[in-house]
Amino acid sequence: MSDNPQHSDQTHFGFKQVDKNNKASMVADVFHSVAAKYDVMNDLMSMGIHRVWKRFTIDCSGARQGHKVLDLAGGTGDLTAKFSRIVGDKGQVILADINDSMLKVGRDKLRDRGVVGNVEYVQANAEALPFEDNTFDIITIAFGLRNVTDKDKALASMYRVLKPGGRLLVLEFSKPTNDMLSKAYDMYSFHVLPKMGQLVANDGGSYQYLAESIRMHPDQDTLKSMMETVGFEQVTYHNLTGGIVALHRGFKF
Amino acid sequence: MPTPQLISALVETSINGVLALDAKSHERLKGLSGKRLWVHVRELPWPLTFCFSQRIDVLVDSDIEALSETPLPADCCLSLSLTTLPLLQDSSQITKLIKQDKLELMGDIHVAQGFSQLLSELNIDLEEKLSSLVGDVGARLTFQRLGAVKTAVTKKAHYIKTIIRDGAIEEKHIVASPIAIAHFCDEVNMLRSDVERLEAKLSLLEHQVNPSTDD
Ligand SMILES: C[S@@+](CC[C@H](N)C(=O)[O-])C[C@H]1O[C@@H](n2cnc3c(N)ncnc32)[C@H](O)[C@@H]1O
Repeated sequence: MSDNPQHSDQTHFGFKQVDKNNKASMVADVFHSVAAKYDVMNDLMSMGIHRVWKRFTIDCSGARQGHKVLDLAGGTGDLTAKFSRIVGDKGQVILADINDSMLKVGRDKLRDRGVVGNVEYVQANAEALPFEDNTFDIITIAFGLRNVTDKDKALASMYRVLKPGGRLLVLEFSKPTNDMLSKAYDMYSFHVLPKMGQLVANDGGSYQYLAESIRMHPDQDTLKSMMETVGFEQVTYHNLTGGIVALHRGFKF
Repeated sequence: MPTPQLISALVETSINGVLALDAKSHERLKGLSGKRLWVHVRELPWPLTFCFSQRIDVLVDSDIEALSETPLPADCCLSLSLTTLPLLQDSSQITKLIKQDKLELMGDIHVAQGFSQLLSELNIDLEEKLSSLVGDVGARLTFQRLGAVKTAVTKKAHYIKTIIRDGAIEEKHIVASPIAIAHFCDEVNMLRSDVERLEAKLSLLEHQVNPSTDD
C-alpha cells in the first residue's frame, strides 16, 4: 500500500481524497487544534499505554551518553525528555516537528520539567530534513509517519541524515494481528474515540481524522519493505498490544 | 503489552517517588549524575539499566551477555541473585561474594555503592510531608493518633500472644510450660549421670571377673 500513487496529485486525508499540496496544511490544522489537549487526550485514548510503547522504543534505541538523537514529529516531546537525560551533557537531542503549536507545547512542557541544555527545537518537514548528511546516531518518529504526505520521501530523508551505524525507529499504529481485537479496536476508534475527542477537547473532527489516518497507514510488512527500498538494512518490526501498534527498526550501514 | 517495560516503569516511578520525598536525596543524586548502572538480577530474564541524571531513568536491556562485551554497556555492571542484593549493603562482603560466584562485577564499584547509599540514606519526614497537605495541626494530630493506634495495637498483640501461649500450655496442654521443660531437662541430666555411674560399675565388675582383659 503506497501512500502516494505515482501518477496522481491526490492523496488521502483520513478516508478522504485531497490534493497532495493541501494535505500538509490540513494535518497542520488538526495538530494546531489538538496541541493544547494533546497529552491529556493521549493518556485518555490509550489508557496510558502509549507510555509503555514509548518506553519500548527507547529501550530498543540503544541510546548512550554522547549520542545525537533526532525525535522527528516529536510533538510534545515525551521521547525527547527521556533521551535528553540518557544522552547527557555530551549528547544532543533535536525535537523536530512541522507544527509550531505542538513544538511550543513541547518546549514549555520540557522547560517546566527542567529538561534544558542539550535539547534543540527545530520546525521541520520530515520530507525535507534541514540537517547535514550523516548527522544522527538515532532517529525516532513516533505516531508521526502516518501524517506525512510522502512517506517514501520522508524515509529517504531520514536515511540521509542518519550516521552509518545509526538506527531509525518508527513507532506507529498498525494492523492488529487478531480478528476479534481488530473488530473491538475498530469499534473503539470510530465510535468511542471521536466522542471522547468531542467531549474532552471539543474537537470530534480531529479525532475522527486520527482514527481514519490509522487505517490508511501501511501495515507492518508494507512499511518494512518501504524502509528497505530507501536503503535501511536489517529491518525488523515488533508488534505491540496485538499489532495495534508496531515498532519498526532499521539500520544504515 | 511488553511486560519488561511495565516493570521498569513501576520500578522507575517507585524509586523517583521515594526520592522526591527526601529533599536531600537530590544532592546525593548529583554525585551519580551522568553515570549508568547495569544490573542483571538472575531471577529476572532481562537486565535493567539505571541512568542517573536529575532523576533516575530505568531502561530494559535485552542483552544478558553484556558483561563480556567491550565497551561495557554502563559504568558499572552487576549480575547477582535477588538473595545477594541485601548483602551488598556491607561492602566488606563484596570480595567474598565475588569469590563465591554470588556476584559478578565489572567497572566502577563506586556507582553501585553510590546508588545503594542513595537509597539506604533516605530520610523521609512523613509528618512534614503531611503538614504541607493538611497543615501543621492536622499533621501533628494525625501522627499523635497514629502513635496512639500503634501503642494500642502493640499492647493488643502482646495480650493476644500471652493468651495464646497460656491457652496452649495450661488449657490445651499442646505446649509444655517453661518450668516443666526445665524439670524435664534436670531429669534427663540425672538419668545421664545414673547411666554413666552404672557404666563405670559394670566395667569394674567385668575387670574383677576377667582380669586377663586388662591391657
Ligand atoms: C500524533 S503526534 C505525535 C507526537 C509525539 N511524537 C508523540 O508520540 O506523542 C504527530 C506529530 O507529527 C507532526 N507531523 C505531521 N506531519 C509532519 C511532517 N511532515 N513533518 C514533521 N512532523 C509532522 C505533527 O505536527 C504532530 O506533532
